Amino acid sequence: MGRQTFEQQLQKLQEDVLVLGSMVEDALMEAVAALKRRDLEASRRLILADQIINERRFAIEAECLTLIATQQPLAGDLRTIAAVLEIATELERIGDYAKGIARISLMIGTGPLVKPLIDIPRMAEKARDMLHRALEAFIRRDAAAARAIPEEDNELDALYNQVYRELLTYIIADPRTIDGATHLLWVAHNLERTGDRVTNICERVIFTVTGEMTELDVKEEGLCGAS
Amino acid sequence: MSPDGSGKMERMDLAQQRTTPAVAERTKIRVEHLNFYYRSQPALFDVSVDILDRQITALIGPSGCGKSTFLRCLNRMNDTIPGTRVEGRILLDGRDIYAPGTDVVELRRRVGMVFQRPNPFPQSIFDNVAFGPRVLGLARGRELEDIVEESLRQAGLWEEVKDNLREDALNLALGQQQRLCIARAIAVRPEVILMDEPCSALDPIATLGIEELMRQLREHYCIVVVTHNMQQAARVSDWTGFFWLGRLVEFGSTQTLFTRPSQGLTEDYITGRAG
Repeated sequence: MGRQTFEQQLQKLQEDVLVLGSMVEDALMEAVAALKRRDLEASRRLILADQIINERRFAIEAECLTLIATQQPLAGDLRTIAAVLEIATELERIGDYAKGIARISLMIGTGPLVKPLIDIPRMAEKARDMLHRALEAFIRRDAAAARAIPEEDNELDALYNQVYRELLTYIIADPRTIDGATHLLWVAHNLERTGDRVTNICERVIFTVTGEMTELDVKEEGLCGAS
Repeated sequence: MSPDGSGKMERMDLAQQRTTPAVAERTKIRVEHLNFYYRSQPALFDVSVDILDRQITALIGPSGCGKSTFLRCLNRMNDTIPGTRVEGRILLDGRDIYAPGTDVVELRRRVGMVFQRPNPFPQSIFDNVAFGPRVLGLARGRELEDIVEESLRQAGLWEEVKDNLREDALNLALGQQQRLCIARAIAVRPEVILMDEPCSALDPIATLGIEELMRQLREHYCIVVVTHNMQQAARVSDWTGFFWLGRLVEFGSTQTLFTRPSQGLTEDYITGRAG
């Protein structure tokens, strides 16, 4: 005899996390794409759409609390719900980074960027890919994958350091670029932080599977360690 | 059936059970390779566990899994059932309670019991609590009154009944009756209190009252409670043992057992997927 209703509710909860995850992935990619093509209207839409992400996150939180109150979950079920609470928060924060990039895009306005966007879209793609696989690992209860993904955060950090150094050369060469370069640095910073949030999600995946609270922050010493 | 399907509990698990709780606390009851039979029918298989003093140990598992049988072995209540047989050892403070020459009446004074349904005697509140000390000749007169008062205070009932001690105990509410039975168990100065589903006949408020009382009694007694209610085990106990088909499948700290049990069968049971 199982608890079919509860099983279905738990399943739905995890599907809701996937839906929220894909909304956040899209927001992140679209924020950088809108910046690249100087599409202020798209950036404005993204800022408004963040509200939907926030509402989804609150809905997931409410579902979790209802399940705890009504089903008294234990062991693996309890860990899953605790992980969902944490993961939904992390996703909402990544949504905020996407919104932040859209805001920076509006601040830059319609003028030309101080440099062509090459590494920043790469960072966005890398962050999106890591996030996508972290959520897959959660659904599949794949602790090995969850342990491996944060190691890739170093690639994101390396790209961030590269963007930083490149922007510095622009600033040194022409101090009038300080504003524009700083704006792009903020964008890169938001993407770098996304990698850290993905690492937190991976920690929750391992907790769900094994019950162990593991610190997976393998960040190397350097610029982004101070962020 | 066992978690690994082999029919036997791993020796390493037993060793872990021994060492895990006993590190900092004193073992009150040590059970070694206990087998129990109703005539030729085995009911408990090779159960080994240390039960600590001044802690609450909960025993969970589906109906018929052997948890109540195990509980009744701890003060030889099963002796009253014809055709039962015990193998292995149960040591209370290091002495085997099944050794020849054991004074079973004294054993049951030291290891008291509270049952599923409150079972006060059809006597006054005072006489219910005074019954044990009188029969055992522990006290009389003023001293007996003091024992009754202290026992009722420990059971959290004194303030409610102190002006009606001569009233019929059966007029009390069910929750009060169960606390009276606990006072009656305490009155003979036991060291261990066994509780067999002590809240199953009570409403939620009375249940919470008994649970709170258990936490207070834990300061003075070793408590072993059998419960069907896993939330209750999670709320009140320090240690939990999970029985399944006569075997102790897992024993560990309550916190660990309910958040990350080591055995798949325990996980399946507490999450409602088995049993």
